[in-house]
Amino acid sequence: MNFPDTEKNPLRNWRFLIIYVAIAVVFGFFLFRLFSLQIINSGDLVAQAIENRTDVINIAAPRGTITDRNGYVLARNVPSYNLVITPANLPGTLPNTINGALPGPIQDIYRKLSDLVGIPVSNGMMNEDTVKNFTPCATDLGITQIVYIADTNWPYQATRIKCNIDEKTALIIQEKSADWPGVGVEVDPVRDYPTGWLTSEIIGFLGPIPAGQEDAYTAKKLVSNRDKVGFAGVEATLQDVLSGTNGEQDVEKDAAGQVMQDIGPLTSPVPGLNVQLTIDTRLQSAAKAAIIHDLDFWNANSIEPISTKAVVIALNPKTGEILALASYPTYENNRMARIIPQTYYEQLQSDPDKPMFDYAISGEFPPGSVYKMATALGILNEGVVTPDYQIEDPGKITLLQKFYEGDPGIPQDYVCWKPEGHGMVDYLHGIAFSCDVYFYKVGGGYGTEVPKGLGILRADEYAKALGYGKPTGIELPGEASGLVPTPDWKRLTIGENWATGDTYIATIGQGYVLATPLQVLESIATIANDGKYMQPTLVKDYQNSEGNTVQSFQPKQLWDITKDPMITEYDANDQPVYDLDANGNYQQEVDANGKPMFDAYGEPIYKTKKKTVAPWVINLAKEGMRMVVTDGTAEVPFDGMAIQSAGKTGTAEYCDDIARTKNLCSPGNWPAHAWYVGYAPYDNPEIAVVAFIYNGKEGSLVAAPIVRKVMEAYFELKKIDTSQGTTSETP
Amino acid sequence: MKGLTWRHFDFWLFGVVVFLSIFGIAMIRSAIAGSIGLVDQVNRQMIWVGIGLVVILLTAVIDYHYWASLIRPMYLITFLLLVFIFVAGQARFGAARWLEAGSILIQPSELGKIVIILALADYFARNQDKPHDLRWIARSLLLTGGIAIWVFLQPNLSTTIVIMVLWFSMLWISGLKLKYLLLFILLAIVVAGLAYPLLQPYQKARIANFLFPDPNARHGDTYNVDQALITIGSGGWFGMGYGHGSQVQLRFLKVRHTDFIFSAMAEEFGFVGTVFIVGLLIFVILRCLRAGRLASDTFGGLIAYGFAVLIFFQTAVNIGVNLSLIPVTGLTLPFVSYGGSSLLSLVLGIGMVESVILRHKPLDF
Repeated sequence: MNFPDTEKNPLRNWRFLIIYVAIAVVFGFFLFRLFSLQIINSGDLVAQAIENRTDVINIAAPRGTITDRNGYVLARNVPSYNLVITPANLPGTLPNTINGALPGPIQDIYRKLSDLVGIPVSNGMMNEDTVKNFTPCATDLGITQIVYIADTNWPYQATRIKCNIDEKTALIIQEKSADWPGVGVEVDPVRDYPTGWLTSEIIGFLGPIPAGQEDAYTAKKLVSNRDKVGFAGVEATLQDVLSGTNGEQDVEKDAAGQVMQDIGPLTSPVPGLNVQLTIDTRLQSAAKAAIIHDLDFWNANSIEPISTKAVVIALNPKTGEILALASYPTYENNRMARIIPQTYYEQLQSDPDKPMFDYAISGEFPPGSVYKMATALGILNEGVVTPDYQIEDPGKITLLQKFYEGDPGIPQDYVCWKPEGHGMVDYLHGIAFSCDVYFYKVGGGYGTEVPKGLGILRADEYAKALGYGKPTGIELPGEASGLVPTPDWKRLTIGENWATGDTYIATIGQGYVLATPLQVLESIATIANDGKYMQPTLVKDYQNSEGNTVQSFQPKQLWDITKDPMITEYDANDQPVYDLDANGNYQQEVDANGKPMFDAYGEPIYKTKKKTVAPWVINLAKEGMRMVVTDGTAEVPFDGMAIQSAGKTGTAEYCDDIARTKNLCSPGNWPAHAWYVGYAPYDNPEIAVVAFIYNGKEGSLVAAPIVRKVMEAYFELKKIDTSQGTTSETP
Repeated sequence: MKGLTWRHFDFWLFGVVVFLSIFGIAMIRSAIAGSIGLVDQVNRQMIWVGIGLVVILLTAVIDYHYWASLIRPMYLITFLLLVFIFVAGQARFGAARWLEAGSILIQPSELGKIVIILALADYFARNQDKPHDLRWIARSLLLTGGIAIWVFLQPNLSTTIVIMVLWFSMLWISGLKLKYLLLFILLAIVVAGLAYPLLQPYQKARIANFLFPDPNARHGDTYNVDQALITIGSGGWFGMGYGHGSQVQLRFLKVRHTDFIFSAMAEEFGFVGTVFIVGLLIFVILRCLRAGRLASDTFGGLIAYGFAVLIFFQTAVNIGVNLSLIPVTGLTLPFVSYGGSSLLSLVLGIGMVESVILRHKPLDF
């Protein structure tokens, strides 16, 4: 062939130069960009690369168990078995689409698993929503669908196919897992409460980490959607003690999430501490049985059921250890073990008796006559009357209701619970008969008979000294503080002046006074313990996983009203006596943290002179309470009891929403709660018990027998323990 | 063939191409990062490179003028293949681009690039002395469009753009008048505006993703590009070492052995290594342009020039994608990325360039 070879080549001109320029510009810019990425800004990108490939594996720490004072298990962990599949380890390659054909061996495995655990091989429509809403254990998708979702998102993670399979099936699957690669059984600890509803108001239950508290719990190394936290009871208050500390291991993982290797040392999980409570389950059982039996009796023998709510608390007045704490009705915490079932939870929420509400510590009720013991301490200690001074109870007195100094007043009748009256009454009989008129007269003053009553300000001092008006600090969530009303409180809250009548009814525990059953019990326990207020507690000790005690709780005396000056002194004009410094200046009161304190109006609170309660006053109050049982309002229910006890009845009139709808809130028609609080043995108290029956009508009739049953159960148990020599330490 | 002497064979060009191809095999071996599904690809690429070297030498031996007589049948065959693919091609990644011949997949659009270079080189060489008017332009466009339209309909936007760039670069070097250039730019803007609604959703999504990246879409659509940047950034001056790039070996970087092999290389060999490899690619482009300048006739010159532009454009687009400067296109890094069809068309081009340089009239006799 002959080709022309002298053609003019167009490639030797300025147009060609432009091409070189274009190459230079493009690659020059690339060079600059590459330099900026790899050298100048590499730090941020390297950090992202490290974040990509590192992960922290969180190793769950076992939660501590809860036992009663005798080692009886109240909360433990039991294994629950879940069927899991790790998609990447299945024999064969999974199809890329949901409808793709599965390899034969995988089909075979799915079929056999379906027969074993009862989940269909294939079920449910797949779309964006089902994938997004997929939650293991709570799905009706088939095995194929679940594995497909898992394979797409986390192929190297074991995904739960069916939760809580029985142990036998779990063993079968475990045996076959050698032939079924990718299939396994995961053992997951689940909380179990052997005593269930008997102790649920004390133990509580667990639930998933709430979204709002996720950050706080994550900071404590807990994992959302895996670890559970306490929602109620000591499970909630002792969460940090029980949960322990999860372990951690830094690992390198690939893009699919498969762990390649460990980085750095393992931080081992620290198991949660086992908690031993002060509760005696047998006494708890006796208390609940007494409530249920007596409520059944009264409801069956009344025209309409009188009550469905009651509380019994028993504690050792010398140590503050709570032996039983029953709030009725309550709930079955085992039903919350795995998940919180929506229907059951809604049922509990809509129950008018509010079973999830702990009446023992969260319920605030008028304490009624049991509150008279605070007034009783006050009148002797302040010298309002002498113990022998007799006051007349005609059954009804008329007093002037005055709202301010110089108010002419409106005459108002105040009646004793016994319409014909108790006649001439001294201090001990005033307590024994729970004589209302006696306490009206000494509390608010009455003509020339009692020229100057105790007064609300002084009365409040004695109530507060017995622990009324503030939470006791027991290890349970949601404790209420109760209310010790003052004239300031009434002006600020209700917008009215304190009336003379308010004082009369406050001194007998009616009107604005509110208290929790635990506060009522503590007030009497303090008197029984000669004025020493013991911190009420549910916790005996903490033990580590080997069973060694790591922290033992010693009885904690918060104050002694006979030694610690707690009662503010008031002068003849009811003005506080201030504690002036050496220069005659007021000294501002400081709180526990050393911060200056201010009152509700923002005015500084100044230090006042304070005094103690004389021991003889307490002894007389105890004598009065002994007379309640021997000759007074509780004589009948405690008749023939082998062990000497003392106590105080209470019948507290109330008006709440339930009573108002029944149109009961009118004079002479008031509904009433039944109270009884007592302790035994009288000379050396071991146990103090309070019983509260909502709408129980009559303390001596309804509440006192329950207290007697619990006391008798206590001494019976003590006898058994002593004879068996098993008693560790009798309270 | 008489008197053919290997004295003018461009050993530098050949040597660098061989080096890049072998480096590519090594890089692919690292980039598959233990994926069982990809292990085969290293061996396949080795076979392709072996075939490629033979193809270069064979093509170099054949006088490039023979191709001129084969342009018509080649154009026709390519045209028919593309039409066939459009009508009955198998769906692959949403686009029908492959023809299955035995166990080898042939991508006719790759063939289309070579045919277009040859056809345009022939057209502009023959019409060198005709007036460079609109008619001259329109006929070249028609020639290009006959192939490009079918590639576009596959749909394969990136190869369409490559073909159109080849056409424009040929037009430019053959003496496109500046007034027409301005007209073209105006026209291009109008066409781009009109054509956008006709693009496939995934093509639109890619463009939208690039122009307006969603800052929250860490694992979404910007994942590949973000990971590429992280991968490049991890490289530093000297890289993490061959087989030790964490982004590559732990597979955070996707399509590591094809589209994003540049990023993989940047992580494992660092700034220095990457600049060296890019330098070699630039060297290949410059050697092709040199062949074009030295060619003894316009046809040969335009062939060499055309392949230089092809390699330059593909390299630039691929690196631009890796550096997150332009939208993801699917163009591979010449000689280095995995892919038989792509490599075959490139070595054919190199062979032709060698054929051109072998037959140039040196000035030194």
